[in-house]
Amino acid sequence: MNRFAIPLGIFAVLVVVFAVALKRAPEKQFVQSALIGKPAPDFVLPDLLAEGGTVDSRHFKGRWFLLNVWGTWCYECRAEHAQLLAIQKEGKVAVVGLNYKDENDAAREWLQELGNPFEAVAVDKEGRAAIDYGVYGAPESFLVNPQGIIVHKVVSVITPELWQNTLLPMVEGKTP
Amino acid sequence: MRRAGFAVLLALVMLPALAIDKAPPLPDPVQQQRYQGLIHELRCLKCQGETVADTQAMFGEDIRRQVREMVQAGKSDSEVRQYLVDRYGQIILLRPRWSAGNAWLWLAPGIFLLGGAWIAWRILRQRRDLLATDTSEVGDEAGRT
Repeated sequence: MNRFAIPLGIFAVLVVVFAVALKRAPEKQFVQSALIGKPAPDFVLPDLLAEGGTVDSRHFKGRWFLLNVWGTWCYECRAEHAQLLAIQKEGKVAVVGLNYKDENDAAREWLQELGNPFEAVAVDKEGRAAIDYGVYGAPESFLVNPQGIIVHKVVSVITPELWQNTLLPMVEGKTP
Repeated sequence: MRRAGFAVLLALVMLPALAIDKAPPLPDPVQQQRYQGLIHELRCLKCQGETVADTQAMFGEDIRRQVREMVQAGKSDSEVRQYLVDRYGQIILLRPRWSAGNAWLWLAPGIFLLGGAWIAWRILRQRRDLLATDTSEVGDEAGRT
């Protein structure tokens, strides 16, 4: 037997393994949520837009809702904002904000300046609800079905394409 | 003078270490030790090369607070880990668990070791066989000019 056969064989196997791993790298770039298919964690947090009021996540059960984690310190959130406004205008899901580790005044100013896509904005100053949702940055968004189950998580900006091709079909029941 | 300079330098070098975990240690030294052990085994998901213990990212700060509170509330190490895995997935554990999916991670070193041993054994046996069948005498070589 050729003495190079074994090393060459091993090399070929490694090339295949690395090629497959490289090809799959983009979809593994972000940490997949461990919470998909699980009930969305409940929270009761201060309401950004109603002084002294609270936002109770259970209030949104029975409807599709999109929980968007944002902060004025987050550059990409600004880029995402127009799409959130469009989603709200479309009216197929309730858009709910989770204002993550932010200043209330700055957050209110931001919404005044750019428009408010949110039906309600919960204030998570310390990031405790965010930990419950497995959040590790902003923006992140969770699509929750009427049964209160998380069906999808977006770890980045919701682009118009992502909304049209991935999230909206879920809401309309066109994908399982 | 040089000594003082060295001390100042050393203090400056160590400053970042002080800045990371700003929380005061837990009153119970056993709990503090468990807390330290746990945060050194957790991955910062915002900056995936770092542990939760070593990162300055906001994420690390929040996870440290969560772990500290859970330890203080009397939760066991595995309860704390499970809590985080339920929310962030197994990737948050720097020490992978034994499961069907990552069994190869644990088995690979053993397989490579056994493979290496087998190759070494084959080479040694080949040499022994060569020696056994070698009828040439040492003198033949030595006598040549």
